[in-house]
Amino acid sequence: MDIIKDFLSGTFKFIQDILGGIQKLLWPPQSYSWQTLIYLSVFSWLMSYWAAGFFVKNIIAFCGWLFLIAGTAWYTTDNPVVIPGTSMPVGALITGGLISLFAFGGEKNLLNPVSFVLWPTMSALITAIPEFFQGTGTTVNPQIPKPEARQKIIVLILSSMLVSCWLQVYFVVDNWAKQYPSILTDNLNNSVLVKKIALPEEPTIRKIPKNGITILDKLVPIIITQIDDQPWSKVERLLKNARTKDSQIAKLGRRVIETELAAYKERDLWRVEARVESINPKSPDVYRLSLLSIWSGPSSKKEGYYFKRSCQVEPVASASNIIGREDRRKAEIECESENSFFADSPPPQG
Amino acid sequence: MLDFIPFDFDFSPILPLGIILFDLLFLIVAIPIEAYILKARLKFDPRSSVFYAISINLFSNVAGWLVFFFIEPSLSTANKSEVLNYVFFNRFQSEGIYSLLFLIAFFIFFATFFFKTLSLQSLLFLWNKSEKKKPEQEVPLSQRRSSRRYNLNKIQQTNVVTSVLIANSLSYTAITIIIAICFSWQLIN
Repeated sequence: MDIIKDFLSGTFKFIQDILGGIQKLLWPPQSYSWQTLIYLSVFSWLMSYWAAGFFVKNIIAFCGWLFLIAGTAWYTTDNPVVIPGTSMPVGALITGGLISLFAFGGEKNLLNPVSFVLWPTMSALITAIPEFFQGTGTTVNPQIPKPEARQKIIVLILSSMLVSCWLQVYFVVDNWAKQYPSILTDNLNNSVLVKKIALPEEPTIRKIPKNGITILDKLVPIIITQIDDQPWSKVERLLKNARTKDSQIAKLGRRVIETELAAYKERDLWRVEARVESINPKSPDVYRLSLLSIWSGPSSKKEGYYFKRSCQVEPVASASNIIGREDRRKAEIECESENSFFADSPPPQG
Repeated sequence: MLDFIPFDFDFSPILPLGIILFDLLFLIVAIPIEAYILKARLKFDPRSSVFYAISINLFSNVAGWLVFFFIEPSLSTANKSEVLNYVFFNRFQSEGIYSLLFLIAFFIFFATFFFKTLSLQSLLFLWNKSEKKKPEQEVPLSQRRSSRRYNLNKIQQTNVVTSVLIANSLSYTAITIIIAICFSWQLIN
C-alpha cells in the first residue's frame, strides 16, 4: 500500500510542479511584465480578426505586432542565451525575425524572401541597440559604445550582413531554377558551386526538358494549317525558303515560343529551325520537313540538345484538275506523332 | 491543415553550398594575411589589426555581393547564359569568354581595393573622433595605446592606402593559387 501511496503522491507532486511551472510562465507576476504584452498581442489579433473595416482591422493588427515584438524582446533580454561560438543572442534572432516578418511580410505570403534575407541583419542591429545606451533601470542616456563593444558590434553586424547576402544568393539561384527550368533536367553533378538535393521519388534517369516539347507540340498544328491543302507552288516556295534564318517557319516558331514560354526567361534560349530534304531522288517532289526546337542555353555538354519532329510533304492532284497543270496541285502533309530528343548538336543546314 | 496560415514557401532543391563555402574559404585565407600586413606596416596592436582585417574584408565582400545583386538582373542573355553555365555545369560556353573574365577579375581587384580602403579610412576616422572626444573615460593603458595609435594614424594617412594595396594583392595572390589548385584538380579527374 505504501508503494501505491508513494507513487500517487509522487505523481501528484510531479503534476503539481508542472502546473505550477506553467502557471508561473503564463501568469504575469505583475501587471507590468512581458506576459501582459503577449496577451495584449493575442487579444489584438483576435479583435483584428473580427474587426470590420479594412483600416480599423489593420490598425489593430499593427498594434498586435508591436505588442508581440515588445513582449518577445522583453522576455528574451530577461534571460539572454547566446548562440554558441558567436556573440549573437537567440533572443535578438527571434525579435529580429518578428520585426522583419512584420516590416516586409506581404499580405498573402508572410514568409516572403525579403523578410527572410533581412532577418540576420535585423537581429544584429537589435543586438547593437542596447550598447548605445547607458543607465540604470530609471534613467537612460545615450553613449558611444566602448571600443571593445564597438568592435564586437561592427563584426557582428558585418557578418550578419554577409549571412543575409548568402541567403539572397540562395534566392537568386532559386529564381534561376524557376526561370530556366530546362537546366534542372540536365546533369548537375559537375557543378562545384551548387548542389542539388535529390528527392527520393525522383528517378535517376535523365529527364527531358518539357519546354522543348511544348514548342513543337504547339508549332506542328500551325505548320500543318500553313501547308495542308494549299497550292503546291506556294508550299514549294515556303519549303525552299525554310533553310534561311528569317524564314516563315522560324518566324512562326519565334511567335510560338514567345506566347507559350512567356512565363520563363529561358524563352530567349530556345529557337526553331527547319531542315528540308528530298526523300529519294526518283520523286523529287516528295520532301521531308524536319522541325527542330533547339536549346542554345547552358547545358552539361558542349553540344547541347534539340527536339525533332519530321513531316512528309508531297503534292497531290486534286479531283478538280484532271488536266494536271502544275499550278493546280495541292500539298499534303503528314507528321510524326512523337517528338524525338537528341543530346547532340543540331544537324547541319542542308 | 495549416492552410489558413499565409505561408507559401516552396524550397528549391538547388542549394548554393559551393558558393558559400568558397566565399568563406576566401575570407578565411584573406583575413590572416591582411591582418599580418596591417600589423607589420601600420603598427596596430594584434587585436585591432585582426579587427580591422575582419571588418574591411567583410565589408568589401558584402559590397561585392550587393553589386552582383544589382548587376545580375540586367545581364544580357548571352552573359547570363555563361554565368548559369558556370554555376550549374562548371564550364563556359564560348571560347572568347576568358579575355572578358580577365577584365572582370582586374575590375574586381580594384573594386575590392577601393572598398577596403574606404572602410579602413572610415573606421580609423570614427575611432579617432570618439577617442578625441572622450579621452578621460579611457583607462590609462588603453589611453596610452590609443594616443599612440592616433599619432601614428596622423602620420600614416597615405601609408594606409599602400598598406591596403599590398594586403589586397597578397590575399588575392593566395586566393588565385587556391583557385588554380582547384582547377588543376578538376582537370586531373
